[in-house]
Amino acid sequence: MTVSREHPYLPQLRQQLGCGRIDRREFLRTATLLGVAAGTAYVMADLPAPARAQTNLPKGGKIRIGMHVQEIKDPQTISWVEPSNVLHSTVQYLTVTDQNNITHGELLEKWEASEDLKTWTLTIRKEAAWRSGRPFTADDAIWNIKRTLNPKTGSSVLGLMKGYMLEEYATGEQKDGKPVKSTRLWSDNAIEKVDDKTFRLNCKAAQLAVPEHLFHYPFFMLDPAENGTFKPGMNGTGPFEIVAYNVGQNAVVRASKSYWGKPPNLDEVEFIDLGTDSGALIAAMASGQVDGVYEVDFSELDAIKAIPDVVVHPVTTAQTAVARGKYDQKPFSDVRVRQALKLAIDQQKLIDIVFRGTGTIGEHHSVAPVHPEYAKLPMVGQDIPKARQLLAEAGFPDGIQLEIVCKPTPAWELASVTVMTEMWKAAGINVKINVMPPASFWEVWQKVPFGYTAWAHRPLGVMVLGLAYRSGVPWNESSYANPEFDDLLTQAEGILDPDKRRVVMAKLEQILQEDGPIVQPLWRVVQTGYHKRVKGFRMHPSQYIFLDELAVEKV
Amino acid sequence: MLVTMFAASLLLFLLFELMPGDVALSELGPYSTPEQRDLWLLANGYDRPAIVRYFDWLGHFLIGQWGESRLFLVPVVRITWMRLENTAILGFWFFVFLIPLSLGMGVLAGMREGSWLDRAVSGICILTTSVPPFASTVLVSAVFVFHLHLLPGTSTMLDGFSYAQLVMPVLVLVLYDFGYIARITRAAMADVMAKPYIRAAILRGLPYRRIIFRHALRNALIAPFTLLMLHVNWLIAGVIVVEYFFAFKGFGSLILEASLGKDLYLLEACTMITVVMATLTQTISDLGYLALNPRMRPA
Repeated sequence: MTVSREHPYLPQLRQQLGCGRIDRREFLRTATLLGVAAGTAYVMADLPAPARAQTNLPKGGKIRIGMHVQEIKDPQTISWVEPSNVLHSTVQYLTVTDQNNITHGELLEKWEASEDLKTWTLTIRKEAAWRSGRPFTADDAIWNIKRTLNPKTGSSVLGLMKGYMLEEYATGEQKDGKPVKSTRLWSDNAIEKVDDKTFRLNCKAAQLAVPEHLFHYPFFMLDPAENGTFKPGMNGTGPFEIVAYNVGQNAVVRASKSYWGKPPNLDEVEFIDLGTDSGALIAAMASGQVDGVYEVDFSELDAIKAIPDVVVHPVTTAQTAVARGKYDQKPFSDVRVRQALKLAIDQQKLIDIVFRGTGTIGEHHSVAPVHPEYAKLPMVGQDIPKARQLLAEAGFPDGIQLEIVCKPTPAWELASVTVMTEMWKAAGINVKINVMPPASFWEVWQKVPFGYTAWAHRPLGVMVLGLAYRSGVPWNESSYANPEFDDLLTQAEGILDPDKRRVVMAKLEQILQEDGPIVQPLWRVVQTGYHKRVKGFRMHPSQYIFLDELAVEKV
Repeated sequence: MLVTMFAASLLLFLLFELMPGDVALSELGPYSTPEQRDLWLLANGYDRPAIVRYFDWLGHFLIGQWGESRLFLVPVVRITWMRLENTAILGFWFFVFLIPLSLGMGVLAGMREGSWLDRAVSGICILTTSVPPFASTVLVSAVFVFHLHLLPGTSTMLDGFSYAQLVMPVLVLVLYDFGYIARITRAAMADVMAKPYIRAAILRGLPYRRIIFRHALRNALIAPFTLLMLHVNWLIAGVIVVEYFFAFKGFGSLILEASLGKDLYLLEACTMITVVMATLTQTISDLGYLALNPRMRPA
């Protein structure tokens, strides 16, 4: 595969790799982002390409995976990775971000970004086709993008692309005396068809992470003829067909003979719903009722390691959870209180206690070491006397009473909060823990004054900051509003060069560390267990399972 | 019964309205925008006032249209029946082991109050009853699944019915419950054995066996019988812990899933079934009481 027109930044990137200013992994990441096919990028970086699907794997067979089988009404409105793991076997994404944090084309062959990152030209693979036989075309892709961006569909893709693809307008209707606002494409030309296999996104603002956004979990390419309905046997471009889908029980997918790509190794995969009790997962593994599970919680790690023939697959991620106070509410509006909350925490100790030492130290700024633009700052660790002093200066010489809201599942969230409250206590910060059931928690996560919120893995640091800490964005749970931060972030989002971007990132990270509303103890390592006869499995930082990579050895 | 059902359903509906958060959020996920949620509520008829929706639901419920489960995407009737059947199977085997075990042990212990047998039985009963199901599930599965590798770890019954998968749930339930009923039986038996008419029978030289079976047992079983009937009720909703741990797809876990997933129609149906079951078992227990206790019969 050749790149028809190289992005102007590519030669410079190659040069940086040559003189060792960036490492190979980073080169691969940025080069693939700019539209170089992953295989080509590996050649440029002088690395042997990892076979995404190994070739010498056994063919045939069936495996069973323990995973929650949730209801799916419309594949484009799902909000968790579990339903995506079933759907992804049968309908595909335009792109895929793999286990190494590198984005490839799935239905796309390549993409090119203009220098200002506002125009993205996307090319679909020539051979890509629906299992019904019809080729997958630009019209199909455009129909799907428009559908997810329609507010009536209810897809979370909308929130992701709103900033650069949509605009708000008044519908002319009134509700409770206020004009009703809605969103629509910012221009008639926002999504432009070039030819049958090529289309273009003309964005309102520069956006670096378009290929990553195309791998958002509900962003499936559905057959327009089926209009978004989900049912077993639905059409798609993927290698499997859904044979059965029983919510709360099981889901069965079977290899299709009319898949356009390399046929999958497995004949059949069954997902078995074992409820939400992690003990049930382990018990099912131990008695051979399943060959692998979706995820193994830290509390069950020793139990799963003790089962013979089970291989544990860990991966370092940019998944985290932050204790955030409302930036505009007392006492968190006082920077000294925010500082004291951070200074009371010993990150390594928390990792040792809750995660048995497996995890990366969080630095209270939400940019992870696995992010390409991560800048190392001086460590902010535990300093109890200083925390006490800051509290006293803020008007709390006798300590302060707070209440933190968190949820009991997964178990590490509550465990982390419990450990943190003990650490805070030493600094005179007495925190009451309010544990809410997950469903209730998600109602109020953006409203509570003080809460502990988990954040999913995202491949770029700017993505995290843009989602959570830019003034006024929907997921800004802490109501953080800092014009200087916003300006720098916009600047960073327009810089392709990871070195140059890192300079700006360092400033952003520093602002968050000093002024920011979050206490962030760690970055998670997640893991799961599979029986050793299951081959080809690699843990994805977002728990995606790529069924076409798996195989099973015959007993 | 009808009044209770009406009151329960109305109360549940209102409580549901008061519960934090809305259906659209659990449908579209935490990452949806408020506008998307409003549009979803409108499209699914949730914009009407709660009381209108209640009577709409009630009307349909009465003529047998229980609606569709939002969570399972199948008719409410189908999923509740399926789950009830599973719990009924579990309950059947539970009682098959519970009744002989608890009554037998209770009677044996109560026959001679203070004997070594009485003390042994009482000791076992107190020990097993004091271990709550959430602890014994872990214990039982640690022994049978992780160490002995004898039994399957979960009881999803996805490949059809399996006795092996039923062993652990039944075992946990019986372990927890039999001691309680055995203790009650023992107390009732001991009480009867101290009655003057039993002493009179012994003094008259009747065979001991005949005294127990003919004269003592019938009076001693009144209390345990009532209790056992109440346990049918307890079983319907009280098995949540066991069903949850073993991933058993029963009625208890259905109630849990329906309430966690905010599936109102499903939850209403489950509640109605629970109310009917409660009333029915009460009636049966009253009738049984009548049969066992001649004093309650009309003259």
